[in-house]
Amino acid sequence: MPFLIWLRDNSTSTWIRESESVWAYPTVLFLHTFGMSMLVGLISAIDLRVLGVGRQLPLRPFARLLPLVWIGFWINLVTGTILFAIDAPTKIENPAFPIKLAFIAVGMVLVKVARRELLRYEPGTSPLVDTRDRVLAGLSLAVWAGAVTAGRLMAYVGTRG
Amino acid sequence: MGAIDSFGAWLATTAPSQFVNNHNWVWPIRETLHFMGLILLMGNVGLLDLRMLGLLKELPAKPLNRFVRWGIAGFVVNLVTGIVFFVGQPGQYVDNPAFHAKLVFLFLAGLNVLAFYATGMSRQVEALAAGDDAPTLAKFIAATSLFLWVGVMYFGRMLPYLGSAF
Repeated sequence: MPFLIWLRDNSTSTWIRESESVWAYPTVLFLHTFGMSMLVGLISAIDLRVLGVGRQLPLRPFARLLPLVWIGFWINLVTGTILFAIDAPTKIENPAFPIKLAFIAVGMVLVKVARRELLRYEPGTSPLVDTRDRVLAGLSLAVWAGAVTAGRLMAYVGTRG
Repeated sequence: MGAIDSFGAWLATTAPSQFVNNHNWVWPIRETLHFMGLILLMGNVGLLDLRMLGLLKELPAKPLNRFVRWGIAGFVVNLVTGIVFFVGQPGQYVDNPAFHAKLVFLFLAGLNVLAFYATGMSRQVEALAAGDDAPTLAKFIAATSLFLWVGVMYFGRMLPYLGSAF
């Protein structure tokens, strides 16, 4: 596809991919890992609370973590787009890639739902969590485990760039 | 060849090292687990750090210990999977400047945890009720913790680029 080839071969992509500078590809890759640790680290901590870890803690304040979760998401949308662009014709054919994207899409919908659910709980109380929220939290953990696994496996399946 | 290099060369000939290299599923599974350990460590230790820094002030601090346990579990996963990497390909690490920097940051992160206990901050933080502000020293330790763990992650990611690991 000419567009994917242009994505790969334009001068910015070529610099990021081929520069020896530590500020090129290695930094983009690090930021992608850093964004993941914010996004998945904090959402999984929220999920653990909903599933009963630290059950004395009120639920509502955990909603304060969601802006950080979104910052992690945006960092990874930008760095992920760069990582895709610099190797687009190969990445598009990687069988793990659509699986990773599908997991992330479901995960982010669950982040939206989490905000609404957390804010349903009264401030300052540590109420029993209802079953629906537990199921959502378990699903969220499973989906993010899937996204991380699919992302890692992208380096091992398909043709390497 | 220095003693560390000879150690690396010897390690590469051992049975556990050969196992890692002769089974092509070991490396991707180990990497995936290393990422999950990283997520558990950063997310759960980060939670206590953010409480100390004031973002989660409405939370009493003591029950956050339950999360720290998950963070420690993540650390143990990464220690074990990290050793599996090292045993599999010692040559990639022993002379790698990024690996040395990662070990220094890990060591400093350990000292920071010790400082948290030795200065009595752990006890003071544990006593924080909902709405209480953490002592300034605890905030400093929390910020240092976040900085050092991000540094550990940075040098881990740089292993193939500052050095020669893949």
